[in-house]
Amino acid sequence: MADKSNRPQLIVDGKRLDGRGFNQLRPLKIEASVLKNADGSAYLEWGNNKVLAAVYGPKEAMPKHVQDPAKAIIKCKYSMAPFSSMGEHSRSGPNRRAIEISKVTREAFESVTMLHDYPASEIDIFIEILQSDGGTRAAGITAAAVAMASAGIHMKDLIYAVSFGKVGEDLILDLNMIEDNYSDCDMPTAVSPRNNDLVLLQMDGSLTREQLHNGLQMVLDAGKTISQIQKEALQRVYEGSENGNGV
Amino acid sequence: MPRQLVIPGEMIASEPVRLDNTYVENGKTFAKVLGFYESEKRQVIPLEGIWQPRIGDIVVGIVVNARNAVYEIDLSHFTRSILIGSKFDRQAYKPGDVIEAEVKDIEDRKTLILWRPRTLIGGTILEVKPTKVPRIIGKANTMIEQISKLTRCNISVGNNGIIWLKGANVPLATEAIRKIENEAHLPGLTEKIKHMLEEETQTTSK
Repeated sequence: MADKSNRPQLIVDGKRLDGRGFNQLRPLKIEASVLKNADGSAYLEWGNNKVLAAVYGPKEAMPKHVQDPAKAIIKCKYSMAPFSSMGEHSRSGPNRRAIEISKVTREAFESVTMLHDYPASEIDIFIEILQSDGGTRAAGITAAAVAMASAGIHMKDLIYAVSFGKVGEDLILDLNMIEDNYSDCDMPTAVSPRNNDLVLLQMDGSLTREQLHNGLQMVLDAGKTISQIQKEALQRVYEGSENGNGV
Repeated sequence: MPRQLVIPGEMIASEPVRLDNTYVENGKTFAKVLGFYESEKRQVIPLEGIWQPRIGDIVVGIVVNARNAVYEIDLSHFTRSILIGSKFDRQAYKPGDVIEAEVKDIEDRKTLILWRPRTLIGGTILEVKPTKVPRIIGKANTMIEQISKLTRCNISVGNNGIIWLKGANVPLATEAIRKIENEAHLPGLTEKIKHMLEEETQTTSK
């Protein structure tokens, strides 16, 4: 978090800097199956974030000593393109932050993927941030979930992620870069919408118990929209086939 | 036929049902794969994904190892399979031979036992997405017989996504198969392929 002393005024007349309400998402757009070589892929634009996610596998886990004869392993690589940044994280490559995000993303997917269906296999998830404007880990997970589904991998659920935070005493949803840097709290969450299980929960800052509760409620409400957009992205790929006699 | 696109985690029935590509949790049935749910036939057809072997599947593979009368056959998707020959046809196959066989038993999810082999001599091999194989074969083999007839090719389709072709017009047959693979989810494909093949064969014969 940046220095609070020169914090810009994040909320003016009950509106946020980009004109959004407190519980309003940035415009979200997803396109599934955009890469031919990958088994599954998705391209996502969320506000100014632009994310490309690709999934390969299930394939034989390599090197062999990492194989688990009972289940699949997931490998995840989050990386920011060198040209992606709007300031703060101006280094690309495997830095501390990228390793951490790769780990939490992997764990989020491990909890919903049916790993026992693919013994001794590995599933590779690649998340590339082409343009970043805060909340890229949430954008990455949302895109990767669509990519996983379009790869035909067995999953319990199609997860989504979104962050919420606090400015003064106000809770705000889906923080952009400047809010992320100067807010009093930033909490990325990923949710399995089938039963509203949390599969990722991180916090930078502090919240009261009540604020946490209200914030999560805000996430779950907005999640319905995100899930719907994810589903529509997958539907568009197979458009025109509902009345078919195929397969 | 009413069909509905389902995504992983979408509820299919509010009671426990045993269906392929679904799972049961808290007494409810959910889809675990992106696919079409056909409520009449009660099945979830996956749209993408790797091959999941079943007993009785026909496979096409390449012999990679031959020891006495035990052959190891590569079926791609890193599924290993073992064919045990009878004691009369010792060393019937060499590494590199292409064979068609049936899955007799599934040892574990990675090792299969095959039987009823048939050698495929010469020809070319094509790999397709295993989820599109039922569409390539068609209802009661209609699609594959049509391609076979119009291009005068012998075609052997394995459920593992390997297709063996040999005959007069392999490039055209390949093109037709690729078209099916790309448009597998669209209706009226048998007619479309027939049209395409007839047009092609007429122009070449002129």
